[in-house]
Amino acid sequence: MHRSATNHPRFLNLLQMRHPVGAIVSIGHRVSGLLLIAALPALVAGLEWSLRSEADYRQLSEMLLGPWARGVFVLLIWALAHHVAAGVRHLLMDAGVGSRLPQARASARLAIVFALLCALAAAIGSLS
Amino acid sequence: MRVFSGQVPWLLQRLTALFLIAALLVICVVIFLGLLPDYSSWKAFAKSGHGATIIFVSYLAICTHAWIGARDVLLDYVKPISLRLTLLVAISLLLTATAIRLLLILGAQLPV
Repeated sequence: MHRSATNHPRFLNLLQMRHPVGAIVSIGHRVSGLLLIAALPALVAGLEWSLRSEADYRQLSEMLLGPWARGVFVLLIWALAHHVAAGVRHLLMDAGVGSRLPQARASARLAIVFALLCALAAAIGSLS
Repeated sequence: MRVFSGQVPWLLQRLTALFLIAALLVICVVIFLGLLPDYSSWKAFAKSGHGATIIFVSYLAICTHAWIGARDVLLDYVKPISLRLTLLVAISLLLTATAIRLLLILGAQLPV
């Protein structure tokens, strides 16, 4: 089947779409992916810093637990957890696992809750 | 407009995802077992040819995955062609520059 005019949207207008739980996981997957890309320069800089000297290594580990870095740290843990959970869900669906609507909705909720719990654990962990 | 369109990026996105999930699992196990390296063993790892290669190949997987993902997102939401191109160039520059920087950092660690 090859049609020049298909009905599926080429460009998605977020404001005109409805947002069931699957859509929330999906947009979260995209937002978290962009956040993780934004963090890449810091990741490479951190790696450079960690290799410079023993004092720098220790200073970096202390700074990661410092007050100003804590918010960014928790946000990035959320982004990583959500991205991975939504990604695993996506891969399983590619393999035909859980692509029926009830299971898909359940796994979507699971991914959202998992990521939030990871962020909570990171927040508590960085406080102690 | 689609650079590398079709099945190849689709497959690359999934293969890099599987690789990165495996890498992340290893890191999680290391953290939960309390096996985080001290400075000297971390330095020794990055200094070894194998360690440096593992770090760099993992970063290339991140860059590949990030490029395909970011490109898909930008093509979906950013319609004006000039802004779209600017953002695509910005992201490709960010990925290339950080990868080169990482290569230089790792190269500087290797014993001459």
